[in-house]
Amino acid sequence: MATLAREVESTYPTLADANEDISRPILVPAWRYAFVLSLAIGGVLLGAAAWIYQIVVGIGVAGINHPVGWGIYITLFVFWVGIAHSGTLISAILYLFRSGWRTTINRAAEAMTIFAVMTAGLFPLIHLGRVWYFYWLMPYPSQRMIWPDFRSPLVLDVFAVGTYFTISLIFWYTGLIPDLASLRDKFRGWRSRLYGMLSLGWTGSVREWMHYRRAYLYMAAIATPLVLSVHSVVSWDFALSIVPGWHSTIFAPYFVAGAIFSGVAMVITLMVGLRYAFGLEAYVTEHHFENMAKLLLLTSLIVGYAYAVEYFLAYYSADPIEQESFLWRARGEYRGPFWIMVFCNVVVPATLWFRKIRRGIPALFAISVFVNIGMFYERFVIISGSLAHEYLPSGWGLYTPSAVEIAIMIGSFSWFYMWFLIFAKTLPTLSIAEVKEHLEHERSHGHAAGAER
Amino acid sequence: MSLLSRPEGMREERSEEARESGAGPDGCGCGGNSAAGSGCPSSSPEAGLGMTSRRDFLKVVGVTGAGAAVACGPPDYGDKLIPLLVQEDERVPGVSDVYATAVVVGPEPLGLHAHLREGRVIKLEGNPDAPNSGRLSALAQSSLQDLYDPDRVPGPRKRRDGGDAGGDQAGGNQADGDGAAAAGFVEAGWEEGIAALGGATQGGGVVLLTGASPTARDRFFEEWAAATGAEHLRWEPLEYEAARAANEIAFGRREVPSYEIERADAVACFGADFLGTWLSPVQLATRFAEARDVDHGRHAKLTFVGPRLSVTGLKADEWVSCGSGAEGAVALAVAAVVAERRGGAGELNGLLSRYSPETVAAEIGVSADAIRTLGEELAAASAPIAIPPGFEGQGEGATQAHLAVAILNQVLGAIGERVRFGSAPRSGPIASISTMAGLIDRMRSGAVRTLLVADANPAFTLPKALGFRDALAQVANSASLSPHLDETAAGCSWILPSNHALESWGEVDFGGGPTGVAQPLMPPVFDTRQTEDILIQIAAAGGVELGGGADFATWLKDAARRRRAEEGAAEDFEEWWRSELASGGLIGRERETEQPTLDPALAGYSFSEPAMPEGTALVVYPTVQFYDGRGANRSWMQELQDPVTRAMWNSWVELSPQTAEELGVSNGDLVEVSSEAGSVTAPAFVYRGIRPDTVAIPLGQGHTAYGRNARGRGVNPLDLLPGTADRLSGALAFAGTGVTLRATGERGRLVILQGSDSDHGREITELISVEEALAAERGHEVDLGELVQAAYDSDPNSPYRWGMTVDLNACTGCAACVTACYAENNVPTVGEKVSAQRREMSWIKIDRYFVDTEDGGFQTVQQPMMCQQCGDAPCEPVCPVYATYHTAEGLNAQVYNRCVGTRYCANNCPYKVRRFNWFEYEFPYPLNLQLNPDVTVRQKGVMEKCTFCVQRVNRAKNRAKAEGRLVGDEEFRTACQQTCPAGAIKFGNLKDADSEVSRQSRNPRGYHVLDELYTRPGVTYLADVTHAALPAADHGGHGDPGDHADAAAGGEHEAGDPV
Repeated sequence: MATLAREVESTYPTLADANEDISRPILVPAWRYAFVLSLAIGGVLLGAAAWIYQIVVGIGVAGINHPVGWGIYITLFVFWVGIAHSGTLISAILYLFRSGWRTTINRAAEAMTIFAVMTAGLFPLIHLGRVWYFYWLMPYPSQRMIWPDFRSPLVLDVFAVGTYFTISLIFWYTGLIPDLASLRDKFRGWRSRLYGMLSLGWTGSVREWMHYRRAYLYMAAIATPLVLSVHSVVSWDFALSIVPGWHSTIFAPYFVAGAIFSGVAMVITLMVGLRYAFGLEAYVTEHHFENMAKLLLLTSLIVGYAYAVEYFLAYYSADPIEQESFLWRARGEYRGPFWIMVFCNVVVPATLWFRKIRRGIPALFAISVFVNIGMFYERFVIISGSLAHEYLPSGWGLYTPSAVEIAIMIGSFSWFYMWFLIFAKTLPTLSIAEVKEHLEHERSHGHAAGAER
Repeated sequence: MSLLSRPEGMREERSEEARESGAGPDGCGCGGNSAAGSGCPSSSPEAGLGMTSRRDFLKVVGVTGAGAAVACGPPDYGDKLIPLLVQEDERVPGVSDVYATAVVVGPEPLGLHAHLREGRVIKLEGNPDAPNSGRLSALAQSSLQDLYDPDRVPGPRKRRDGGDAGGDQAGGNQADGDGAAAAGFVEAGWEEGIAALGGATQGGGVVLLTGASPTARDRFFEEWAAATGAEHLRWEPLEYEAARAANEIAFGRREVPSYEIERADAVACFGADFLGTWLSPVQLATRFAEARDVDHGRHAKLTFVGPRLSVTGLKADEWVSCGSGAEGAVALAVAAVVAERRGGAGELNGLLSRYSPETVAAEIGVSADAIRTLGEELAAASAPIAIPPGFEGQGEGATQAHLAVAILNQVLGAIGERVRFGSAPRSGPIASISTMAGLIDRMRSGAVRTLLVADANPAFTLPKALGFRDALAQVANSASLSPHLDETAAGCSWILPSNHALESWGEVDFGGGPTGVAQPLMPPVFDTRQTEDILIQIAAAGGVELGGGADFATWLKDAARRRRAEEGAAEDFEEWWRSELASGGLIGRERETEQPTLDPALAGYSFSEPAMPEGTALVVYPTVQFYDGRGANRSWMQELQDPVTRAMWNSWVELSPQTAEELGVSNGDLVEVSSEAGSVTAPAFVYRGIRPDTVAIPLGQGHTAYGRNARGRGVNPLDLLPGTADRLSGALAFAGTGVTLRATGERGRLVILQGSDSDHGREITELISVEEALAAERGHEVDLGELVQAAYDSDPNSPYRWGMTVDLNACTGCAACVTACYAENNVPTVGEKVSAQRREMSWIKIDRYFVDTEDGGFQTVQQPMMCQQCGDAPCEPVCPVYATYHTAEGLNAQVYNRCVGTRYCANNCPYKVRRFNWFEYEFPYPLNLQLNPDVTVRQKGVMEKCTFCVQRVNRAKNRAKAEGRLVGDEEFRTACQQTCPAGAIKFGNLKDADSEVSRQSRNPRGYHVLDELYTRPGVTYLADVTHAALPAADHGGHGDPGDHADAAAGGEHEAGDPV
């Protein structure tokens, strides 16, 4: 521990360094960045072309069929909504708990949340048979006096995801205001004017800080229940149906835990990349990663427990159809995805019991990628796997994604990374204000205390 | 009269007065068909072709005026549009005109009620007064697609100079229009063609090759041939010559008797698929359902003897598996047992003594116990009946097999009682294989100078080994009168396309006296003429006057006039003729005929040894959807899931699980089947219901022409037949060919959408024993009162809660309901590729489940599955936009134009009956003319499903409301109910406790599928009933799911990727 503290000390940046280091990437031109961004934009164009093709020809160009009416699209919807969760968790809940280690990752995590929700929100549209009537899902005043059916989980979804997006955006923006002001001060010319406008005339006065801190605290308090509500509502898309494998009361906590699990994994994936690309090793330390790894381990245990409970409930229900469905999940045609899911989400994260692995960045990166893959498969197994093997044996059938679905999937990842890359190049990826505050705090209270927190 | 010829004698929906005033008195001279026959020049042969849009068609429909009508052929859709200023008395937009007519579909004469809207036929229903009692088969329902087939030959065509004769390239690009052009034909005028063929019919060497049917057309062909000096031959691949020959030997009557199964209490079927394709399947299914009316205390046991379980076989309570060709020997052995039990069989004792079960069993490898049991059961029954072998067993000894069954029927005392002569439809004799071979020789040598082919497609339906196709090319003048560009037409030098049966005049013999009159329902869709009229014109061009130079309609009417005069009828003929057309003909006047007795000389008859091939025997059989191949271009038939295999859009090779294991193949693996005559390669279908020493390939696919859906699809098993014939009758031998099998190691595409063959103990299907059904002590699961009163089911103030019952005991799986639904509800077909993606659209499908029995065999339950119209429907609350909602009458309505396509409703439907429009599906002209204007054509991205024919519900309600009353019981029927040959479906108001459907819902056999979900379905199923021993472990006849999975392993095909 002492060695570590010395290491930390030797690389400990000053407040000025922090300003410089964090905002540096905005100015530094990098061909690598341009290359990666153009890749992402290319991917988005591919996905858009696939979607247009799907709209023109019909949703039949996707591989979904009868009985598997929901496939990759809804899987990705749940996947991205899940990813979106850790952002709020890290910013809001950890803020309320005063977990200092969140400061270096919350900005990126929140940005990730916004972009993930933006990605997730596309899929309910993409999967519609007649997307040109998507607005019928909204309760808008219509002369025909037809409203959406508020009993439908899909309408609840619209509200849940919409609310989450709005709150997350405001929360993120609120956190950005002092940093935008820093950038305004740092730059000259159009950048200064732009950031000035965005910073809403922030001057950094004590009065402003006082109000700001209060507002931020309240925003965090408002955002906190959303962490639980959004994915609960998303889980009701399934739990409120009667499909064996969907109809289960544990779905809400199970999905929330899964969402945090996948979200944390995605934060790790992104932060490792960001840290490497922008040289932020001094700010995002192994200590931060270890804390995230602990969160990953915890949620992995919850998710693993949920898997076991699902089987127990199937057994305990004494419902032969439910039982058969769950046995089929592990033994049937979709056993591949099922066992991938178990391996990635339960077996691989179990290595995090070892501190070395928790603090080993490459290992952690690999594990986070495994978890992302595993969580994708989890949603696939739940959504498509359950539909493939329902009540009526004559109606059993499998689903294989089509090229269009794969293209749209690539497009969705590209869309997400495109926004993230733009974010990384235009806004401070770490919260300058909070980092500074934290650095100051560390200095005055000693390193060891900080490291322990 | 209008431009469109109007069929006479409209029925229903029209008052008597209106009919009196509206219909023109002459039923013959008016209108398009006969005008075409009069040789009126058609100004533009293109006029009726594929360019007409629905809009144009409606414009033409709007045209009235006698001036336009009398003189011209129908396709002159040009510049004579006159708006419909004065509404015709008879034609009300939005109301169906119903006309009676009669057609022969496959083997069976059927009386029809055709529903016309705005001048076009949109739906066929059975004529309730005809022997088919208002019911139709899938094939008959789909004749509409034959009528509106976009690939029909649109007008007369002649072979392009130097154009290749031969069908292989026929219809190269038919989807783009004129297939005939691609096949090497050019447009020609009717006069040119008729003159050319008129010349060709002079000077001998003329052969008229036709199909055979119990119709006036058959008689006309005879007459025509006699007048012109031509030779007339009839060729049908699926005919009953062997049965006729056997009955001539046994009873001196060269005919097929009728089998009155409804009077039997035990049925032994020696192979005929009488519920599917044999003789008169619609009628026989009705009769069979009556014999098994378990609610009235009867349930005739059906024992099936044969190598493979057909539609009939799957319905059987017991299967005595015997090799194809051995059916006759089994029948004799059974007869011997019966004789023994019943104290002798008179003069037949000597003959039968040679066929003890043990002797026969040793010879053909069938268990003696099975034979003895069957014999004893039949002997113990009070009214047993035996049904002869069908096409599956038609080998070289076919006549003798029929004879053996005739002897068994004699021993059973069924002859004259339940097997009655003199009441089956009659047609002329069919050419034997040797006659056909002789014809082919003469064609090759040039002795046949002119060949006219009508209603037959020998280039497809004769075994390739006989070489008809090559010989056709040697004939100097050949003409096809087929409406389709079939294989024979593709090889002819002329195509003079004839009208479809629904566009034609005719007369159909229903057997035993009743005769149905066929009338054209609408002007020809294309530039075609009535077959007989073409022949009359050809004869006239050749200098022979037939029937006084008039057309066939006059010929027919004159014949009727003469008959009336002979009978000394006092009634005015015209009046009578009109009533005849209105009713559909002389229907229901069955007369008793004297019944023959067995020829005593039969006692000394010597049967040959059963001829069974070495190694693996090939069985070739017709299917309900294609019959002899004529259904192959109808997309409804291609997309119909075969009742036995559930496969669609292809051919397949049925293999037993053992054979499949030996070859190492599973469903969809390509298997090459080779015989001495050739080889075909088709995907395997592993089937529990076939003997290990037998493989079966269905007939009807493997077309090289015929249209976009038929061409190049599947294989023709006739290519494997060496062209041998039944020794005594000369009928084509479908059985008895030895084949070798080879797994090619490749995958084929066999689309099978049924996920599992077992219901895994989920009580989806219930199968109970006869004892239990008759005792009716079963715990009744359906509380109708609760069903109707439950809060969500229907509005308490509504007088209606629509409901349905489906009797699984009656259902044979013939799929007539499925096709009727396609026709009524504008259900699109999606094609093979999209079907393979599990996206077919049928609103009602039939699930086929196997249930293991105690003795290691299995029973089959065919279960029609459609929207259950749940009282508390899982689909309803999940729709975000109220596109699916509950009506006051308990229906789950689906609002197509509100649907945004989330598909959540389909996901949440436990019955998996919702269908999604994954693409925009098209109805290429003129198939769009068949669309029902009362039903929306759905857009892509929209969910749809069975509506309980809500358009019919509303029509009936509107009528009732106008008359100030409630809709009566059975006042209308849903399309599936209306056509069901077995009468398995009942529909009506569950709130009326006395309605038929309410009574049926209270049946002790009633149950709801998945009722533990508390969806409260509006559809009540009545459990299937079997004589087979069911596993005692489970009340409902369901074993442990694991057992099912293992036992069904052979037949089990996980749906997966069928490609």
